[in-house]
Amino acid sequence: MSHAFNLQIIRGIGRLIFDLPGEKVNKFTGEVVEELEKLIDSLKNNTEIKILVIESAKKNIFIAGADIKEIVAIKKQSIAEKLAKRGQDVFNKLEDLPFPTVAVIDGACLGGGTEFSLACTFRVATDNDKVAIGLPEVNLGILPGWGGTQRLPKLIGLTKSLSIILTGKPFDGRKAYALKVVDALIPQEFKEEKLAQFLETIANDSEREKIFKRRKLKGLLEIALEKNPLGRAFLFYKAKKDVWKKTKGVYPAPLKIVELLQESFASPLHEGLKKERDFFSHLAITDISKNLIQLFFIGEALKKDAGEKEKIEPKPIYSAGVLGAGIMGGGIGWAFSNAHIPIRMKDIALEPLRKAYATTAGIYQKAGEHKPVPKNEIRIKMHKLSSTLDYTGFRQHDIVIEAIIEDMEIKKQAFRELENNVRENTIIASNTSTLSIHEMSSVLKNPDRFIGMHFFNPVNRMPLVEIIPGKNTSGQTIATTIALARRLKKTPLVVKDSPGFLVNRILIPYMIEATLMAQEGIDIERIDAIMEGFGMPMGPFILADEIGLDVCYKVCRILAGRLNLDTHHIELLKLMIEKQKLLGKKSGAGFYIHNSKEKYFNKDVVKLVHEVQESYNISPLQIRDKDILDRMVFRLINESGQCLEEAIIERPYYLDMALVMGTGFPPFRGGILRYVDSLGIESVMHTFHYLHERYGERFKPCMLLEDMKRNNRKFYEEAQ
Amino acid sequence: MKERIAIIEGLRTPFCRASAVFKDTGADDLGAFVVKELLARTSFPVNEIDEVIFGNVAQPYDAANIARVIALKAGLPTSLIAHTVQRNCASGMQSITAAANELWADEARVIVAGGAESMSQIPLIYSPKMARFFFQLAKAKNIVEKIKTFMTFRPSFLKPIIGLEQGLTDPICNLIMGLTAEKLSREFRISRKEQDAFALLSHQKAATAQSDNVLKHEIIPVFTPPAYTTVQEKDDGVRADQSLEALGKLKPYFDRVTGSVTIGNSCPVSDGAAAVILMKESTAKEKGLKPLGYLKAYSYAALDGSRMGLGPVYATAKLLQKTGLTMKDFDLIELNEAFAAQVLACEKAFASKEFAQKYLGQSEAVGELKMDLLNVNGGAIAIGHPVGATGTRLVITLLNELRRRNQNIGLATLCVGGGQGASLALEVE
Repeated sequence: MSHAFNLQIIRGIGRLIFDLPGEKVNKFTGEVVEELEKLIDSLKNNTEIKILVIESAKKNIFIAGADIKEIVAIKKQSIAEKLAKRGQDVFNKLEDLPFPTVAVIDGACLGGGTEFSLACTFRVATDNDKVAIGLPEVNLGILPGWGGTQRLPKLIGLTKSLSIILTGKPFDGRKAYALKVVDALIPQEFKEEKLAQFLETIANDSEREKIFKRRKLKGLLEIALEKNPLGRAFLFYKAKKDVWKKTKGVYPAPLKIVELLQESFASPLHEGLKKERDFFSHLAITDISKNLIQLFFIGEALKKDAGEKEKIEPKPIYSAGVLGAGIMGGGIGWAFSNAHIPIRMKDIALEPLRKAYATTAGIYQKAGEHKPVPKNEIRIKMHKLSSTLDYTGFRQHDIVIEAIIEDMEIKKQAFRELENNVRENTIIASNTSTLSIHEMSSVLKNPDRFIGMHFFNPVNRMPLVEIIPGKNTSGQTIATTIALARRLKKTPLVVKDSPGFLVNRILIPYMIEATLMAQEGIDIERIDAIMEGFGMPMGPFILADEIGLDVCYKVCRILAGRLNLDTHHIELLKLMIEKQKLLGKKSGAGFYIHNSKEKYFNKDVVKLVHEVQESYNISPLQIRDKDILDRMVFRLINESGQCLEEAIIERPYYLDMALVMGTGFPPFRGGILRYVDSLGIESVMHTFHYLHERYGERFKPCMLLEDMKRNNRKFYEEAQ
Repeated sequence: MKERIAIIEGLRTPFCRASAVFKDTGADDLGAFVVKELLARTSFPVNEIDEVIFGNVAQPYDAANIARVIALKAGLPTSLIAHTVQRNCASGMQSITAAANELWADEARVIVAGGAESMSQIPLIYSPKMARFFFQLAKAKNIVEKIKTFMTFRPSFLKPIIGLEQGLTDPICNLIMGLTAEKLSREFRISRKEQDAFALLSHQKAATAQSDNVLKHEIIPVFTPPAYTTVQEKDDGVRADQSLEALGKLKPYFDRVTGSVTIGNSCPVSDGAAAVILMKESTAKEKGLKPLGYLKAYSYAALDGSRMGLGPVYATAKLLQKTGLTMKDFDLIELNEAFAAQVLACEKAFASKEFAQKYLGQSEAVGELKMDLLNVNGGAIAIGHPVGATGTRLVITLLNELRRRNQNIGLATLCVGGGQGASLALEVE
């Protein structure tokens, strides 16, 4: 068997090179850990080595972490604990070696990699911008189980450790040096020389002391908070409160992390490690962790594969145009400018263009409040935007994205005109959310360059972009659009050209169900609270207010027509818009009254509900919380099944990710189809039959679900 | 005669009064807006451009070699060379003639040239006393020395030096530009009334041009950073309601007791930028382009700085000698209106045989400056004078107007602080 580690000893300096055979990255698999243990055991009594330097042979990678596949496979707590103990024991041995050890971090060093480096005596990082040190375990619903929660606070204190472990956000070498996670920062280009210098430094007693002293230096605030029980109590109280505010208590890992640090901060290492693996093993076997890891894998898969049929080399995009500088056009302008791609916005008047500039500048301004931006950076990005009232400059563009009003005839006219004003090979994309790509492309002489590229609102916050090829769209056009979306730091996903595509198609019946329930006299705030309790980032009515009721109504109406849904279910929306001019947050009031600080229920809605009830002869309904939840969630389930049945998207796990990214479906549930799996198809069908009987035909489960029940199948069988 | 230089297209920002709409927009930003738009509107292939040359007077401290900053902010490739030229008020012409020289020498095939100025952003400067105080403070080693240094502070240290004022003062003759105009008003006996009447006419012509949308083709709308609360579409100094009465009420600004030059009959300080694409006529033909017009020849001339306003007379005399043209050949003339007194002095000097003999060493007068052909769409008194950008504007405005009138030959000329003049002979066909 080939070895992952390679040791050379030259003049007292041991160099241990980690180079996992046959892999692009170094990671800790069971085998690797075993080999490492044997190696450490063999070095224990080695008198030749004065200092041991540990490096990686992989470019831009030190150690990517533990093998997540091994963690996700664990079903029993005892096995999880064993896995944690195994790593802890080996890292303890590393720490106990009789000579100093130095981890040289010149690339990604995450999770187990960081924990490994923390068990070394010294850590050195380069200023390579690929250096990423951090403990991202929390994002996978677990916590660092190989000593990270114990060694990090002892090294850099509680405040900083809590923030690193709770956010899971990696940092570069410069930041690591400032945080005192590493003892030296060396220029990558002079790595060898500077490392040699560092080794000389630590061989010298007084110089070495300086390094230890630097670690101990603490700021005033740190001393005040961490060096006395009262300060610490406040620190943990605050941490818990923040976690609760952020996660609403549905994610156990962050709470466990705070609890663990609180309980173990003062304990000796071996006791702390015992607690750590105990907490780790509890979390590792939860469904939530399995779900989050599954989503992580899907996310990784999506980075390479957007679901396109063929892989073709994309064409380069040097500049872009956008038709319509409304909310979506402006958002698209922001995304391009942020990626340093010149983009020219066309609209029929200067005022919408000005608004687009202002909105874009506002997004940068806001981002700058959280993180200092280098002087002039915003201005330089803003210079990527230009604007026009005619088509001047459009011949230079490699792609033009249409983002004008959702009206087939107007769009067709715009495309006819556009085609005469761009090059033969310019990609023409539509940001439509509801209309047929194929029908739009029919007006073009050259439909193979036409594609749907559906961004979500607000563009700066929504990561998903639906890529919708029409019947005649070329593979090259698809590949180029996918590559472009990735350059814009978005996640592209190929879906079939059908009404509402994927996300809106599934979301709209859910929104319609919410409106219908409101019309049945069910308390709006109650429905919102139930859905938030389920884990949705906001209830359906708050969402509607955010989107804008007019937009919501229009999308619902268009799709209701194309999907055969009952339009009288959204009568309330129509009345709100037409009678009371309630448009949601943008007009100050919708289902809720919005003022600058808070929002509260809009009582005018009740009157309108009565009106709808009278004209449609609807009697108010008494209903259980469970039925409210099921009516909402099972509309999602049924429509999702229908989408798979119609092959709107082929892979169930991509559908799950799309809903997480596109609607904020709670990640801890792993996605709507994974949720079906967790309930069990038997129980799901049972609920469907109940809902069908009681609430109507729309709850008749789709064929795909019936088939699954007949064959007792799961969506995620193959993946596990 | 050298081959003509083709001016393919030219654009400019609106010219706006300083410390107003463009106060937060640097000269580099204004320049970048114009260059970006120029390339978009002409669909000119970026990779065919060889250099960017920009004129700028104040040289912003945060945009050294502003031409390069403009090029990169406009999205031109990092491989593109760029340099900045400074000939005071003629900087925006200097960039064009510097480009012409490079084109004639075959050192470049296509050049983007222009001028940009933010007079809003010319900084205030600490006095040498204050600077010395800062230096001592930094040098002080301990608290006692620091306190000692603090004790030397006097409130008068805080009085800033106004960069703008310094820039507009000739350090040799020690006159601020307004006083050179006062000098000409005396020498050529130009009354306050005549000056005000000229200023009024400038506003009236500019206002008519605005309402007739004559300048729309050359001005790009500017969305104003940082908050983009406005779109600026036109020059904001033009007063359609200007009157002799209002002008007459103003006090002389530079010589408050015996003077006649007011802020009403002088050009305001402004912000703005302009740019053109240049190549040899033959290159344009090769590329099948239809140029806006051509640069036929140019001349610069120098004179006593305290009479700098007469620069156009000197430079034009030189240009006529060089080209064999006469004043009668020009269908239209753009002569920059730094001061009404200065333009009217030029009018007299152009026509004066005595002046020609005394100062220009030629026996006959340079030729009549026909006032009805002069600045037909208004001049700097109404439009404004962002010093580094005006030269380029005159060229663009002149060519557009010649085209509109179906005429052919024009003269663009201006006076230059420090005692120079610049004159360009331009043609449409």
